[in-house]
Amino acid sequence: MDVTSLTIKEQHKMLDSKEISAAELANSYLVRIAEKEPSVKSYIAVTPEAAAKTAEAAQKKIDAGESTPLCGIPLAIKDNICTDGIKTTCASRMLENFIPPYNATVMEKLNAENIVILGKTSMDEFAMGGSTQTSAFKKTRNPYNTERVPGGSSGGSAAAVSANLCTAAIGSDTGGSIRQPSSFCGVTGLKPTYGRVSRYGLVAFASSLDQIGPIAKCAEDCGTILNAIAGYDYHDGTVSKLPVDDYTAKIGMDMKGVKIALPAEFYAQGIDDDVKTAVLSAAQKYKDMGAEIIDCSMPSLKYAVAAYYLISSAEASSNLSRYDGIKYGHRSDVSGNYNDLIIASRSEGFGDEVKRRILLGNYALCSGYYDAYYGKAMALKQKIREEYTQIFEKCDLVLTPTAPTVAYGINENIDDPAKMYQADICTVTVNIASLPAISTTCGYNGDGMPIGMSLIGKMWDEATVIGAADAFEKTFTRTEPKI
Amino acid sequence: MSSYIPVIGLEIHSELLTKSKVFCTCSAEFGGDKNSRCCPVCSGMPGTLPIINQTAVEYAVKAGYALGCSINKFSVFDRKNYFYPDLPKAYQISQLNLPLCINGLVPIEYEEDGVKKSKNIRINRIHLEEDAGKLIHDDLNGVSLADYNRCGIPLIEIVTEPDIGSAEEARCFVEKIALLLQYVGVSDCKMEQGSIRCDVNISLMKPTDTEFGTRAEIKNLNSLKSIYRTIEFEIKRQSRLLDRGERVVQETRRYDDNKGETRTMRSKEDAHDYKYFPDPDILQVNFTDEDLARIKGSLPEMPYQRLERYISAGIQEKDAKIIVNSKRLSDLFDDTLKVYNNPKSVANFVIGELMRRINLGEIDLEKLNFTAEEFAKVIEMADTEKVSKGDAKEIFREMSEKGGSPEEIAKARGMLIVTDTGKVLEAIDEVIAANEKAVNQYVSGDVKVFGFLMGQCSKALRGSATPKVIKEELEKKLKSLVG
Amino acid sequence: MDLEMVKYLAKLGKLSFTDEELEQAVKDMTSIIEIMDTIKEIDITYDPLKDNHNVYLKDLRKDEAMPSLPTDKLLMNAVNSESCFVVPKVVE
Repeated sequence: MDVTSLTIKEQHKMLDSKEISAAELANSYLVRIAEKEPSVKSYIAVTPEAAAKTAEAAQKKIDAGESTPLCGIPLAIKDNICTDGIKTTCASRMLENFIPPYNATVMEKLNAENIVILGKTSMDEFAMGGSTQTSAFKKTRNPYNTERVPGGSSGGSAAAVSANLCTAAIGSDTGGSIRQPSSFCGVTGLKPTYGRVSRYGLVAFASSLDQIGPIAKCAEDCGTILNAIAGYDYHDGTVSKLPVDDYTAKIGMDMKGVKIALPAEFYAQGIDDDVKTAVLSAAQKYKDMGAEIIDCSMPSLKYAVAAYYLISSAEASSNLSRYDGIKYGHRSDVSGNYNDLIIASRSEGFGDEVKRRILLGNYALCSGYYDAYYGKAMALKQKIREEYTQIFEKCDLVLTPTAPTVAYGINENIDDPAKMYQADICTVTVNIASLPAISTTCGYNGDGMPIGMSLIGKMWDEATVIGAADAFEKTFTRTEPKI
Repeated sequence: MSSYIPVIGLEIHSELLTKSKVFCTCSAEFGGDKNSRCCPVCSGMPGTLPIINQTAVEYAVKAGYALGCSINKFSVFDRKNYFYPDLPKAYQISQLNLPLCINGLVPIEYEEDGVKKSKNIRINRIHLEEDAGKLIHDDLNGVSLADYNRCGIPLIEIVTEPDIGSAEEARCFVEKIALLLQYVGVSDCKMEQGSIRCDVNISLMKPTDTEFGTRAEIKNLNSLKSIYRTIEFEIKRQSRLLDRGERVVQETRRYDDNKGETRTMRSKEDAHDYKYFPDPDILQVNFTDEDLARIKGSLPEMPYQRLERYISAGIQEKDAKIIVNSKRLSDLFDDTLKVYNNPKSVANFVIGELMRRINLGEIDLEKLNFTAEEFAKVIEMADTEKVSKGDAKEIFREMSEKGGSPEEIAKARGMLIVTDTGKVLEAIDEVIAANEKAVNQYVSGDVKVFGFLMGQCSKALRGSATPKVIKEELEKKLKSLVG
Repeated sequence: MDLEMVKYLAKLGKLSFTDEELEQAVKDMTSIIEIMDTIKEIDITYDPLKDNHNVYLKDLRKDEAMPSLPTDKLLMNAVNSESCFVVPKVVE
């Protein structure tokens, strides 16, 4: 048996019963990374030293009988989450050598649980993209077919979990960046409610939409990780003071009477038939388990992509202005004054997609255009929220495809940013409405590529989202990639 | 030169006296070693988030009440985006549409051509924002050095309506604002430390015009003198332009203190587009009626209230105003009254002696060498004739120069008046015996010689008895001779 | 969306592009703005009050100063001198 294919729960048992030591477990992954990483390219940095050190600390806890569910579990961290003393690049030339002087709150919380850190995973540059092909360092491949993209922006995290290069990983989701790569790589990814997990130390893309979450082999593992990272944080004024639930409490829940809504617009034109069929058959499965399937509508979905890109790019243009080469990050060799330096540093440091978002964001915010674009997008955000509120008056969950297609080829779509943006249609409303959502695999297409479905829950109701995903996973046999 | 009506509006920035910065926990104290009061948040490190300081918000509201403002019960923080190396995030957190305070009114009194006038200046708004860092120019190496200690110090920006009509009005207004802010205790308004700074917006119009003229903005004035001179200069400059039929360019100008003139900084063509938008990292702040009532109730006695109190205590209005117009002086005055409750006498000493020496530059109110108790004592000693009035001034001089208790100074310098009645009677007897002729004159009804006899007694007693006692005893003695 | 607009946006974002890149950016931005323009057909306005998260004065951070970052750690990712960040000359 290969330990690297096990879930958190299974590994936790083995560690606790001393069947394996934390160091041995970490080492199994490091060996596998050495072997498989060249074809997957999921890690920007593997950190064997940090792994050894954290494994040692975890083992002490285990030996002292003080183990917790994540103690000794080897995780990978998306490279936009600040790790004190470990480079955090955001997959950008801009931050190629940036060493954060502090830990993200999520890292503090995970370290308190004695996780083992394996490394930092690749992503789209500054989390802008859905393919991980905008990474300046590692253009990650899909473990199910290395000629295809892993999705993004948390493509490195999803691919690493999928290829058993870590037990689970931490990602971030601004418009689908956890769920879509989870879908493409055939794993389970959870975007928590906005404000459930502290964003402190997550390098900001779009502050009102960003949320950190887990990517794992199953919904239950996602719940275990969320248990560790959720909750109030002194350093983030937007994080909720609501008490933290046990997010594994609804594992094994009975689906009888659970009302699941299917908004018609998510199953309309533009969604591949393979995908539609797989998600609808999952709906049927839920029905067979006793759930009630409800038809509903989200009329504003057609504006969602525009609203999302306007808001996220506007915020990004502001968030990314701090990269001037002065305090940290790429500093151009150009000679000249401050203005020359900042322009050169930014132009050299940022990739094309990041630059496009900056242009778009400035367009949305600049004087004379603000009301028509940013203002309108903010109004649409409120409208989409209202539409979700109405749907949730009559149901417990919303079921949608995670992406309109399965993972596409590495050279597809890159030249057409507009088309790439449209592909986010299934995921962006969740961020716009601050809702929790999970993506889990619900089938494979003819080429064996995974198809993901998303369960969207009410605000703060991650437990039901996880429970319902788990109920499906128990009826579904996952096919591991043959990497 | 035609006569134009100056239309002037001010933006006053004042640092708040909080312990910590407005969006992080670094110390907000003035000074410190370079970059020693910075953290990942105020230095704009990737991934950091602002956490708003309760006291800063409360102080801004307090300032609002002091300036007669209404408070927005729902207030929003916005980002003002611009690139400058003293602004590490490349945006300043400020407030645009829903500032904390709106619609205030501040009465000012001033003199014009020797005539006393008064006027109300309307306050458009007061908002809370963060200060920027400091650039130290290293001309030798042709670079600037950025020190971020001041980044994130809480500032309020007070914006007036264009109600100010002259340099003198502006000077009086700024003085009044500084006084009010000092009284409520939210700012020390030390111009020399940059804790209060001012931008001037000024345009000219003809009496027949119905619209304001084009205005120039003069930034960052940090003394009353520079505000006054800037306005005087701008009125002349703009008048000359208009007289010649030229136009005033809408632009930002800088005041050159050495030359006493303003110069173009940037014209409207490259004016900033600040791309304001609501800061997604800061949730909007709400106030309950109780919050506002409590803050309003916590306002200390304001200058106009003190003035009333002083006048009703019998102090002349002119003197009372002088005292009230300096918070330090007024506080010293009140503290003195707590020990020695003789308002008129203390006021006389304050105006006659303390103010005189302050105006001579011999005493600095910020750095007093004596306490209110000591100050009270010296006045009381003079009033009760424990020392002579002249000696009291001498004692006060020493106290204010070197410190020390007034009693000890008086004792050490032999100024204490010890009234020994036996000694007085002895001296009177000697004088009477030695001046038989004069005494006889008195006895026969020529009372004019009393003065001569009094002088002889005083001379004999050489300051060791009060004139009052000598006079009483001498009169008694002479009357007994008259029989 | 035209060349002038893209140049202006680039200026706002402190980015420089070669002529070739500019040409491509105009193309990309044109098709992107086409998507964005779909929202023009709906007539709604943003209401800030609806976004109220009910954060009250009492919920805000207490005013307590805590230790800052050591200066060397603050400067470790920067070109620095005399405990400061080194900035090329600023031209107004």
